[in-house]
Amino acid sequence: MASTSERSFTRRDTVTFLACVGLSVVALFSPERWGQGVSDALRNSVLAPLVWLQARAEEGRTSRARLKAITIQRDSAAYLAQGVPSLMAENERLRGLLSLSRRVSSPYVAAEVMHQAQATDGRTLLIDVGRDDLVSEFDPVVAPEGLIGMVLTAGRHSSVVMTWAHPEFRVAAYTVSGNASGVAAPSLSGLAGEGALEFRGVPYRDSVPAGTLVLSSGLGGVYPKGIPVGTVTGVVREQAGWERVYRLLPAANPGAVAHVMVLVSPPGASMERAFPSDSALQAMRLDSIAKVRQADSIATARAEAAKAAAAAKAAAAAKAAAAAKAAAARATPRPAPPPPVAAPPTPAAGDSAR
Amino acid sequence: MNVSRANRVQLVLVMGLLVLLHFYLRPRLGSARVSPDFLLIALVFFAMRSGPGAGALAGFVVGIVNDALTPAAFGAGALAHTVVGYLAAWGRAVFFADNLLVNAAFVAVALWVRDLILLLASGTGQGSLLVELTLNSPLQALSTAGFALVVLAAFREWFAIRLDT
Repeated sequence: MASTSERSFTRRDTVTFLACVGLSVVALFSPERWGQGVSDALRNSVLAPLVWLQARAEEGRTSRARLKAITIQRDSAAYLAQGVPSLMAENERLRGLLSLSRRVSSPYVAAEVMHQAQATDGRTLLIDVGRDDLVSEFDPVVAPEGLIGMVLTAGRHSSVVMTWAHPEFRVAAYTVSGNASGVAAPSLSGLAGEGALEFRGVPYRDSVPAGTLVLSSGLGGVYPKGIPVGTVTGVVREQAGWERVYRLLPAANPGAVAHVMVLVSPPGASMERAFPSDSALQAMRLDSIAKVRQADSIATARAEAAKAAAAAKAAAAAKAAAAAKAAAARATPRPAPPPPVAAPPTPAAGDSAR
Repeated sequence: MNVSRANRVQLVLVMGLLVLLHFYLRPRLGSARVSPDFLLIALVFFAMRSGPGAGALAGFVVGIVNDALTPAAFGAGALAHTVVGYLAAWGRAVFFADNLLVNAAFVAVALWVRDLILLLASGTGQGSLLVELTLNSPLQALSTAGFALVVLAAFREWFAIRLDT
């Protein structure tokens, strides 16, 4: 039989356990704003040193990878530097196209992602920038591949990002060809659809082929226009006569992303130039090649024209010199013709007749 | 310094080390969903050395910390860790966990149960639930249990499971 102290100990344990469970349930079902407020307060006070420590660790990890990437880029650049100058210029242009930080003309803040060990990591991300870095709620968050989500809450030195995998995520979107528009939302329709997005509200008359790139449309004022959201992989369901819902392969994976960019530009800015589609990239590349060729041909034409002009000038000068010489020759007086030599007297005609 | 106080200091030192490892070493280990969860190891070890009430309270604190850092569904982590802390303390009493491997198995099961409760409480869809519980959680449970073995082996003298003999 248990003693009184053991019973009270057990009772105390049970009471503590039930109190903790009760508090957890209250937290779980409390309004979301309360939970965010408590999270912010904890992150900015008690957990601030731990968040700082994790941010340094993330920086250390990603800086090694970045150093490796930069070394590779430098080696590539050194190799390409031996090539033809026009190729180098082309390479620089392509490098500019591929480097998102150069592409984004609007202000942004680069951030490290601090992944957590929990199973729900990926729906929300913790990043190491906050209000002190000019980040605020509803700022769009992008990776080089495309849209990640938006800032849900911004603390002083850290922020929480709601990714596209969050059940409440929505973004107004349209196809790159511009023939269909709708709303992209996380797919919750079962095993096959998990980890994917759905492109909803597409009018039934608008057919979107697989492989079509879907971009944010800028409607709603949160996400700028032109950020890749995903690629159409097929039809999920359709309601005859009204709408089709397409499955999207997301452009960026929040679970694997190491650093992101928070766009702090004013809403309404367009990002179309920053995220060109494949065809646009191709077009821009062809365009740049054409520009190089055009520049080369213009330079050649200019050289030829200069050469022709020089030749013409030389010919004109020669002609002028010849004309001057001729004129000078005409102006000089001619010498008098020599006097006729006296002929010996010839016999008169009568004489010869004689 | 008496024995129980020395034990408490040692426990605090190991817990502190695990917290440091969680926030400084784990981010460098690669995928966050597979790398060891040092906070859970600390929770389970603490709960197994303490009573169920203290285990539940420690679980609640660890869960709130996790919720603050991954606020997918605030309160879900607290609920999951509270239950795990409480069960770990009871489990030690039921299974006489003095063996290293049994302790590591405790950690692995605790992590899987934590993920199960967390995913259910945060309203995860059926597909993600299956993938997490059959792929990511077992992998993370294995890595976490492996590191728990290392901790137990390294601090065997300090970390004897049976303290109150």
